[in-house]
Amino acid sequence: MEIGFRKYRHIYIVDVKGDMDLYNAHELKNVVNRLIDKRISNIIINLEKVDYIDSSGIGALIHIFTSIKRNGYNLRISNVHGSVAKVIKLTKLMGYFPIVDEVKTALQQLS
Amino acid sequence: MTKREEILVDGNHKLFDKNGMFYKEFPSDYRQVRFFSMLIVQKAPAEIRDINLLEQQVSELIKNAIRHGNKKDPEKKIRIWASFSKTCAHLIVEDEGEGFKEVDRWNDFNKKRNECFLTQNFDDLEKYFCFKTDHSTEEDGGNALFASLEYWDGGVVLNESRNAFAVYKSFSGKKRPGIDISGSQM
Repeated sequence: MEIGFRKYRHIYIVDVKGDMDLYNAHELKNVVNRLIDKRISNIIINLEKVDYIDSSGIGALIHIFTSIKRNGYNLRISNVHGSVAKVIKLTKLMGYFPIVDEVKTALQQLS
Repeated sequence: MTKREEILVDGNHKLFDKNGMFYKEFPSDYRQVRFFSMLIVQKAPAEIRDINLLEQQVSELIKNAIRHGNKKDPEKKIRIWASFSKTCAHLIVEDEGEGFKEVDRWNDFNKKRNECFLTQNFDDLEKYFCFKTDHSTEEDGGNALFASLEYWDGGVVLNESRNAFAVYKSFSGKKRPGIDISGSQM
């Protein structure tokens, strides 16, 4: 899994590429924890280039979202597609996570 | 409660009938969970692989067996029986561990989780995101079985020792031909 960053005004976009699975899901968790520590209050996780997620990946997203909420910060998860969307649906968390269709929408909501 | 909202415990369940299934066994090598899953799923027809969802769900069962069942003990093996067709997937995954003793607590946990969804009680829902046991660590998502129960629509069943899961998924909207799953406490 590769993790990249972009910044748009006060918003950080975390671009994730590759599988979010048992081997590496903790990496995204650690990265977002560091952003929270730096008081970055608006974060977009872009899953456009993630084609595979497992329960460890879902666990990481849960951890990230609950941490961000606890701090009163804002999260959007964008470009959820394919089997990633199906796995989130299987866990029934589609309506819980702040999912938007694309980064542009997330930027509009957080601006 | 509908049939698939809980994990059954029934070693005599029809889903434990291994007749016609192929067999493989693997060491408890956590680094190779997805490789083992791919070895199993490559025998499935492309029609039912559904992007990579079947592999993902098989991977969760194998991960569970190696991590929670065998506690990653390299001396212990996992055993898998499987059969695939264009209309169904049927697996039995057995480990050499002590068994999932907390299945009753898990079923109760899942019931409360589902009640939160029904009432849209997202505040309480956060208590039920992840099922944890005394052996759970940070690396455990704690949510795999929720998805398993949704995906394996023909049942998720444990044997009496609780160290083997039998699961069944229909891809045709029909239950397994010739086997009356509904007659087995489902």
